[in-house]
Amino acid sequence: MMTTLALRLGRVVLISIALIIALAPFVVLFLNSLRPADEFLSAGSGLIPSHVTFEHYAEIFDPSGDTFRYLLNSLIITTASTIIAVLLGAMAAYALARLKLPFRLSIVIGIMFLVIRFYPKITVALPYFLLMRQFNLLDTHLAVIIAHVSMTVPFVVWMLLAFFEDFPKELEQAAMVDGAGALTRFTLIIVPLMAPALAASAVLTAFMSWNEFLMASTVAPNFAKTLPVRISGFITDKGILWGSMSAMSSVIVIPVALFALFTQRWLARGLTAGAVKG
Amino acid sequence: MTVPETITEKRRPAGLVARLEGRLGESGVLLLFLAPALLVVAVAQFYPLASSAVLSFFDWSLSRSPRVGPFIGFDNYARTFNDPIFSGAVTYTIIFAISSTLLQLVCGLGIALLTVGESYTLRLVRTLLMLPMVIAPIAVGTIWRMILAARVGPLNQGLASIGIDGPNWLGDPMWASFSLIMIDAWEWTPFVAITLTAALTSIPNDLTLAASVDGAGRWKTFRYVVFPMILPVLVLVAMFRMIEAFLTLDIVFTTTAGGPGYATHTLSFWIYQQGLRYFNISYAAATSWIMLLACLAMALGFLAWRRHVSKWQVS
Repeated sequence: MMTTLALRLGRVVLISIALIIALAPFVVLFLNSLRPADEFLSAGSGLIPSHVTFEHYAEIFDPSGDTFRYLLNSLIITTASTIIAVLLGAMAAYALARLKLPFRLSIVIGIMFLVIRFYPKITVALPYFLLMRQFNLLDTHLAVIIAHVSMTVPFVVWMLLAFFEDFPKELEQAAMVDGAGALTRFTLIIVPLMAPALAASAVLTAFMSWNEFLMASTVAPNFAKTLPVRISGFITDKGILWGSMSAMSSVIVIPVALFALFTQRWLARGLTAGAVKG
Repeated sequence: MTVPETITEKRRPAGLVARLEGRLGESGVLLLFLAPALLVVAVAQFYPLASSAVLSFFDWSLSRSPRVGPFIGFDNYARTFNDPIFSGAVTYTIIFAISSTLLQLVCGLGIALLTVGESYTLRLVRTLLMLPMVIAPIAVGTIWRMILAARVGPLNQGLASIGIDGPNWLGDPMWASFSLIMIDAWEWTPFVAITLTAALTSIPNDLTLAASVDGAGRWKTFRYVVFPMILPVLVLVAMFRMIEAFLTLDIVFTTTAGGPGYATHTLSFWIYQQGLRYFNISYAAATSWIMLLACLAMALGFLAWRRHVSKWQVS
């Protein structure tokens, strides 16, 4: 009796510790974004700001500043990358699952998509930069979107390939008897039925694109700059602007954290798809 | 013959789709489905990859000349052997990746065992514990830079209040190397936890029940039933985490920028500096290919290991 009670108590204590370690940094970030600027430099100012100020948010969202543009850039790039990656990925996964290609070509292409997860993106970054320079696409949304789609499409393909393995063939066969071609079956049967899987891959893609730094910083250093690239600038500029940096970090972190709470079901499914099933 | 009103029947009046499908045939349509994804990946991944391999055999620094220099064979690769900063980065990256991955596996497995279950509270706890992983790695860096600031950071202020003089977490070479490992583990332990929770949930209840009926205690049930069942997933997760830790770049940027000195230069950070800061294109290409081959070798090793540990499993 005593031991089960002790075990349960121990479990609660350990879970609480894990929660504190995981969440305290978010609290510190948020409190710092509301802290008056002069308090950052004095030791002993405590965790809670002496008074709450929105000066840092006002500063970064100053109409003359560029934060709105970076925010807009991030939104445009994330939305476009997500839609394109999920669409192209779903189509490709469907084709790979249904095509009867010679020489096990389907497997080869599938492995090609898988390999993209296993090499350093830094290998690709430089030549991609040179390529975009050649096409005159440097510092455009399109350059970042193409990069993000190419990085996320493999995830979508692999997630959905696993899904197609479980997909009931009878439904499609019935439609085929009625004379439905691949395009019709895809749009009218497959897409509606796999909405949950599509949602899972969309959520995952959106997170990856919103947070991505390397490719965005390589090909879009100015006009098409995204929020993560902007934040890295706070460090290398003149010293560290603690207040603006925490406000800017909050702008990029808090929406994503809230989004994660609401999409948790799909997110967890997307993240575990490759590892647990495959 | 009367065709019942089916989904396809509704669509057919449009005609265009049906005609298109008729002209292209089944495989034609499917090949068209596959083409755009392949095209994007070819343009933005495989072409740059190949081009990087080619460039690594030339002598080209964009800061010296806009044109590709002469072919120099393996000189760029040979150069890495005499570059102490490169070998320092290799050493740190290996230490970083191994310690961070081990830490994540231990903590992640612990959290998975603690939070597995379907009650509302546990699901909420799992969601909250997931947050470190979903935010931008760049922001993870800035957050921890604030927390670890030597004089005014909340961590050292907290330590001071209980009479401990905290170290200069990011300013001292030893401590900075250690701090980066902790930050990476903080960020990615949730991934291990989520995946292992899913693996634990997929273990059939009768198995653990049978073990306890046979008189196995908690530890023995875990050691001989649960652990072997989740081992294949654990190996796969270790592979993903190890490779990604090996490629760590973002958090270095916003915490230490590779410093103090070169203490926390990870390989990716070093290559980034060489390529995109000093524009030593061909040298950066050569080193990034060394890294790529190392990653593929690691992946193959882990996959072989996974095959080995899941050999006896029916699934």
